[in-house]
Amino acid sequence: MLWVDKYRPKTLDQAMVHQDIALNLKKLVAEQDCPHLLFYGPSGSGKKTLIMALLRQIFGPSAEKVKVENRNWKIDAGNRTIDLELTTLSSTNHVELSPSDVGFQDRYIVQEIIKEMAKNRPIDTKGKKGYKVLVLNEVDKLSREAQHSLRRTMEKYSASCRLILCCNSSSKVTEAIRSRCLNIRINAPSEEQIIKVLEFIGKKEGLQLPSGFAARIAEKSNRSLRRAILSFETCRVQQYPFTSKQAIPPMDWEEYISEIATDIMKEQSPKRLFQVRGKVYELLVNCIPPEIVLKRLLHELLKKLDAELKHEVCHWAAYYEHRMRLGQKAIFHIEAFVAKFMSIYKAFLIATFG
Amino acid sequence: MGKRNTVVISSSDDEDYEPSSRLKRSYEKAKSRSSVTRTNPSRAKKPRLPSFRLSKESSDVDEVRLAFEDFNEVFNGFKVSAGSRRSNAKELWVDKHKPRSMEELAVHKKKVEEVKSWFEERLRTPKYLQGDIGSSVLIITGQAGVGKSATVHAVASQIGTQLCEWNAPTPTIWQEHVHNSSAGISGINYTSKLDEFENFVERVRKYGLISSSFNGNSKSSIILVIDDLPVTNGRAAFERLKTCLVLLVRSTRVPTAILITDYGNADSSDPNARWLEELQLSLESAGASKVLFNPITNNSIKKTLSRICRQEQCNVAAEEIDLIAKASGGDIRHAITSLQLFCLKPDVELDLSSSNSTPSYPKENANELTAFNGGFSSQYGRDETLTLFHALGKFLHNKRDKENVVALDQNAFCVREKFSRLPFKMDSPEKILCQAHGQSRPITDFLHENVLDFLCDEAMDDAWAVASYLGDADLLLASFRGMLTRHSETENVLQSAAASVAVRGVLYGNFHPSPSRWHAIRKPNLWQIERSLSHNQNEMLRQRFMAGSGSSSLSEVSVIATEYIPVLKWLGYRTSSGLETHDSEDDSSQTMSMIDEQESKISDDDIEDW
Repeated sequence: MLWVDKYRPKTLDQAMVHQDIALNLKKLVAEQDCPHLLFYGPSGSGKKTLIMALLRQIFGPSAEKVKVENRNWKIDAGNRTIDLELTTLSSTNHVELSPSDVGFQDRYIVQEIIKEMAKNRPIDTKGKKGYKVLVLNEVDKLSREAQHSLRRTMEKYSASCRLILCCNSSSKVTEAIRSRCLNIRINAPSEEQIIKVLEFIGKKEGLQLPSGFAARIAEKSNRSLRRAILSFETCRVQQYPFTSKQAIPPMDWEEYISEIATDIMKEQSPKRLFQVRGKVYELLVNCIPPEIVLKRLLHELLKKLDAELKHEVCHWAAYYEHRMRLGQKAIFHIEAFVAKFMSIYKAFLIATFG
Repeated sequence: MGKRNTVVISSSDDEDYEPSSRLKRSYEKAKSRSSVTRTNPSRAKKPRLPSFRLSKESSDVDEVRLAFEDFNEVFNGFKVSAGSRRSNAKELWVDKHKPRSMEELAVHKKKVEEVKSWFEERLRTPKYLQGDIGSSVLIITGQAGVGKSATVHAVASQIGTQLCEWNAPTPTIWQEHVHNSSAGISGINYTSKLDEFENFVERVRKYGLISSSFNGNSKSSIILVIDDLPVTNGRAAFERLKTCLVLLVRSTRVPTAILITDYGNADSSDPNARWLEELQLSLESAGASKVLFNPITNNSIKKTLSRICRQEQCNVAAEEIDLIAKASGGDIRHAITSLQLFCLKPDVELDLSSSNSTPSYPKENANELTAFNGGFSSQYGRDETLTLFHALGKFLHNKRDKENVVALDQNAFCVREKFSRLPFKMDSPEKILCQAHGQSRPITDFLHENVLDFLCDEAMDDAWAVASYLGDADLLLASFRGMLTRHSETENVLQSAAASVAVRGVLYGNFHPSPSRWHAIRKPNLWQIERSLSHNQNEMLRQRFMAGSGSSSLSEVSVIATEYIPVLKWLGYRTSSGLETHDSEDDSSQTMSMIDEQESKISDDDIEDW
């Protein structure tokens, strides 16, 4: 088992970061009821961990007995039926899913599953009608319609169902939903906190940590605790005992993108553009999100770029990133960005070196 | 007028069809063919059975028509009813000028020769040796109207054999069957065409065509022609047809020609067309020979048309013939029909003068006719369709005039030098799109996949312009997706706008095309990528759940892909790298040299686990 999973705090009491929030959550659910919740914060800050711990707090250990399912829905939308398939994870008391995975038909999923949950409400030991919890991931990626329909269903079925929403940025969640939820912001852990966690894990695993090594990992992790623990483990596999100068291996896709960047800098031609497309395809087919590809690519390109061009290149990156979000097929826009970059850079080279 | 009256009188009489048919003896074949399937009142109550028509075309003896099952039955059916008789008076030229000898065929000489020698070889070889020279089935394919059937008929008459045709019997409509069975009328059994066809093929395979039972003319050999494959609806039916034909190819001894009309790729959305292709392939692999007929050349069509004009004594200008030939697109049947239409005078007078079935135009009408041409010429001509690939080729090759021939007048809006492009050497892109009836999404994808090949190596700015316009098209296609399903009009406008942007973007952007050479047009890789992507997503989620069995929460795909998977690969967990192997084989080449890099880092022992 990965260390990230192994040392994930199971209960709210065990939390090593965000202890204050954990404490508040515990108080909140002490009376067996809670409002809708919206967790938001950067990736790797511990949202999911807190949500799972919270579910355990509410329902006890049964919340951990989960099964994963590929579920099919047949939805009657007026004159036609829509078939949707989505992976869900459910226990007796909660259901978790990422509705944005089905694309623009996400709203049907949200409505349908909430209705279904409302239909069979669990009855707790005291004979009181209990409630189920629906955990929705990536709410910020939900389409506008899905968010609207979510708002209505939230009100209609609030007696039987609590929602826990989880997203990276609350700015993409509509005002209406935010106001119906208790918003909980989860900050990215500070580097000190990350170091503390790493040292804790090191102690548990019986590892010798040279001074400054944990700090270097923490620094590299971009304040993502998950990232830090994962690279800690890779370092352990790569070389042990640790040396303080030890290189922290980058992710393979990051290496790959920097390779692409080198390709782009070397030659600017339609032929090269075609090769780059092939490499981007490889990234995409491995589910690396196109936004991350574009962002990382920009990052790599800027490293090698003359200061004079940085501004313009950033502008175009932003332009194509926006269009990518509006559009349907990311490759078109990533490619357009690469083409634009090549064209700018080529003109620059010609102007400078003749 | 007196002559005409006899026609009327005699045609009202069912039994007598002698008088005028003597005039048209040579056209009788065509007539009888059409009459076979005609529902005749006298036989409506009897079961319709499959029939063969055997025609000895080499002689001018009356046609002998035979059926195994019920000779009289079919013979009665042969009698032409009054209605059909009268229509014969103004016969279609297509039937009238049917080629009767190999010389008259407009098909290329070599092809005809090929078919002829094939048949001759089959017929010369004694039965017991036939196994050595391969199957005795010949597949003749080609577009509609290139003279496939005509060739077989002409060849048969040339080498003096009988033709035995599979003719689909008059169908019993299902409703009719239901009606009859509910009314308790027995006798008409509903059999599907496919069943009948299968029975027929079965018989031919097992017993051959028992020539002695025909008419004692057993010395002459027989060629079986299957011109009319039953329509199959659905995969299962098609499979049945296929097996039945493959068996025929493998085992028959009778020289058989199967004529398959090739619908071209334009209608590839129709599964039937694809199935026909599949059928051809499987027949070929079963050993059948194949001859492909190309569209008939303009010159041959023109020659034939002028010959018909001479025979019909109508005066058609050479340009008109040229035009008709061009518009027909190699379809000679269409060309002849067009010619007939063209020669029709929009006058009632024509009916009177046509009593002898040869519409001849008096000289004085000729002028009037040519004057009429201007408006007329656009009426014939098929609606040209283009295949998707043809259209893509046009867009990608971006043929333009060498210089701007359009004189710019002073007031015209002038674009700056770098924005101006030379005029197209083709129709406007929207028209081509329309002809190719492609949908905008695939067209955009195809252009995106292929356009970079057509850019000059130096032209980076062009590449950007093209990429940017394709992005615009994608944006148009994406916006409101799914939301406008109820407003199909709006959706249509949006779609065509997107296609137009994509195509014109490519045309405009490609300012410095690469020196023209042959490029294969590839299928968009994107489609494969998208399929594997969605597959991989599900797989990742599942495996993440398995691997992190303690974690009782779903992670986001992006997080798994960017963080967990690379680490798992590092750690050498085999669970995660099983991912790509689930993909279909054909993309294994493109999936992940990235994975391979990782693979090489991990020890080789792991390879067994794959």
